[in-house]
Amino acid sequence: MTYDYHEPETVAEALALLALHGEDAHLVAGATAFTLLWRQGLLRPGHVIGLRRIAALGGITSTEGGLVIGATVTHRAIERAVEVGRYCPALTRTFASVATVRVRNQATLGGNLAHADPAQDPPPMLIALGAEVVATSAAGERTIPVDELFVDVFTTSLRADEILTAVRCPALAPGTRATYLKFLPRTADDYATVSVAATLRLADDGHVADVRVALGACGPTPVRARSVEAALRGARPDARHIADAAARVDADIAPFDDVRGSATYKRDMARVWTERALTELVS
Amino acid sequence: MKLEHTALVRAPRTRVWKLVTDVPAAARCVPGVAAVTPSGTGKYKGSLLVQLGPVRLVLDGDVALTATDEAAGKASVRADAKDSRLGGTVRATMDLTLVDKGEDTELRITSDVQIAGRIGEFGQPVIQRKADQLMTQFAECLARTLA
Repeated sequence: MTYDYHEPETVAEALALLALHGEDAHLVAGATAFTLLWRQGLLRPGHVIGLRRIAALGGITSTEGGLVIGATVTHRAIERAVEVGRYCPALTRTFASVATVRVRNQATLGGNLAHADPAQDPPPMLIALGAEVVATSAAGERTIPVDELFVDVFTTSLRADEILTAVRCPALAPGTRATYLKFLPRTADDYATVSVAATLRLADDGHVADVRVALGACGPTPVRARSVEAALRGARPDARHIADAAARVDADIAPFDDVRGSATYKRDMARVWTERALTELVS
Repeated sequence: MKLEHTALVRAPRTRVWKLVTDVPAAARCVPGVAAVTPSGTGKYKGSLLVQLGPVRLVLDGDVALTATDEAAGKASVRADAKDSRLGGTVRATMDLTLVDKGEDTELRITSDVQIAGRIGEFGQPVIQRKADQLMTQFAECLARTLA
């Protein structure tokens, strides 16, 4: 069982290869997810297109409008980038919490998002930050908010002729606080049983001016907790209020049973960890 | 793996019965089914494409109507299929029951599915979810076809 490996040096060359080989082609960058699926025998493409030699897909740029991270930047490079820490320390911590350093040295941001495993760490944090991905095809570029990228397990709203080329994180309003909490009852390098990312900004008078909450491992896709957000927006949050808002997460999630816990347990843990995340942000 | 699905089809039982026991016609309502051709009395050959992100399963196999009791509104279907490219087999026994609900019909499907080989790597939650999607779309298509 073999495949032809292609290493285009421009996005245009990669798109041309994708158009030529169609369904028989598979895009990779760090190839960590691909290697697992290939070894399990679930993927048998005739052509694998490696994106790592495309210079335009690398690099992290800090702009007035926020942060732009290229699709082939590794988790480790994001974790270590000064620009990322300056933009949002919680984003640094999110990438630092992924698996092990060996995985982080290889796995890329674009690969992580395109793989669409619902238990991965970056998606909830990027949703809470209001980030969007850039999808490039022969027809041009379009942007997709990260919270509209995930459709189902392993399934995104990217079209077959598109390549995810970058992620744009918007500038955060002054005073915005952010956190990412990952519940790991088994081992430190495991996927989370549940994970919670949140951003929150209090107005000068102590009311919640802005809040976004997203969870991982709580259903077929990472999910935004809009019920929790609605319960908090405009409120002056105290412990009781936060507990009530966190309890509403039940309406936003659809976890399933797996080796990391039953659906019922995950519902309980989603509430507990949402409450902890929000408590941290208002303290 | 046992799966249970219930759907309400907005059509009388006699019409739903006629459609679900006409295997090629009913198969047209299963998303991803390619050609279904007769291979003997009550037996058919067919192919089902199931896609999960980048993973594409092409299940080729046999479908047989193993029992029908129109008076009781019960039918049984057996399916044996394999994906020869990835390696893996799916065996399913499905018991269908149609229940009168006024002008509508409730369709109950109890399935016993055995999965072997690579396909099983996905794990039960994902397979269950995919089966739920198939069944929902199947019931919606039956309702549309009979409307």
